[in-house]
Amino acid sequence: MNTKTALVERSAQQIIFDEFMIARAKIVELAATLDRIERATGDVEDSRNMQLLVQGMHILCDDEVEKAKRVQLLMSRQYDPQWQTQMSISKLGS
Amino acid sequence: MDYIDPHLHMVSRTTDDYETLARMGCVAISEPAFWAGFDRGSVDSFRDYFRQLTEFEPKRAAQYGISHYTWLCINAKEAENVTLSREVIAMIPEFLGCSNVLGIGEIGLNKNTRNEATIFMEHVDLAVKYKQQILIHTPHLEDKYQGTRMILDMLMGDSRIDRSRVLVDHVEEHTIEYVLENGFWAGMTLYPVSKCTPQRAADMIERYGPERLMANSAGDWGPSKPTAIPDLIMELKKRGHTKELIQRVVYENPKTFFTQSKPFVHG
Repeated sequence: MNTKTALVERSAQQIIFDEFMIARAKIVELAATLDRIERATGDVEDSRNMQLLVQGMHILCDDEVEKAKRVQLLMSRQYDPQWQTQMSISKLGS
Repeated sequence: MDYIDPHLHMVSRTTDDYETLARMGCVAISEPAFWAGFDRGSVDSFRDYFRQLTEFEPKRAAQYGISHYTWLCINAKEAENVTLSREVIAMIPEFLGCSNVLGIGEIGLNKNTRNEATIFMEHVDLAVKYKQQILIHTPHLEDKYQGTRMILDMLMGDSRIDRSRVLVDHVEEHTIEYVLENGFWAGMTLYPVSKCTPQRAADMIERYGPERLMANSAGDWGPSKPTAIPDLIMELKKRGHTKELIQRVVYENPKTFFTQSKPFVHG
């Protein structure tokens, strides 16, 4: 699906004008969270959550589209198409 | 603008909220049965809850000119108790003839376990047997993607299911496409922190269009905002969308979906 859909009424320039302050506030919050972790005692190098945040930040900076969807998938448990067989669940009404 | 909130747990809200909703333009609510914040101990607890949903809440809503509809089930969080779940499922038909019952819901998965899947399918079987519409809860956070795919597998593996009579709720960016492309209705839940903000819901409307898509507040006893739909309306207006598009998402779509259930008579 083309992500440049006709339903978007605003131009890219208009969106950055409208939403810069909101995005600015969010990126400062994220930066401050990282600073807070840095100043605190202990180590999060092996923390799965920290690794997910770092990988999520890489998605924000890459050149690919659908960033929200990709961050969501990054933070999700894997889906196994064979789950019904593995759980011994039989289908209904088939 | 008149709107319908297709998912709002009013048993957890005050009468003042009904008044605020009416002032904001809410003309109808549908309230799925859900978790009370603690696991209930007996089928009679659910019988009383279903009486609250079918007798008390419609009267409370009517004081403010709001039509109240409901859906019945035992939720996924309590489905680990398979014995109790089966007792509740056996009792639900006592209420299916009530004037505000739209169907079976919100059924679904929570932690995507075998017991949850078993009880989900037994609810689906009940809905098919009694020709009821279905409202589906998809799991939270890291469980959502896996759980949504599992739910769709179960529904699409059942040839008796009419997908146009199933609403899959709490969709987000990574699940909405699977729901819509397979012919189901999709609901976006507007929450302050988890699920979806009004801004991201507006993004999904722009990305996927308004076909079979609606929004809800899912206001309950946790952090939630029962007037979240007016926030979405404002966001869409700010972005320059037409009144027709907004009205389709917040009023016409829920009305079209609910009209497939006999008790729904609004508008």
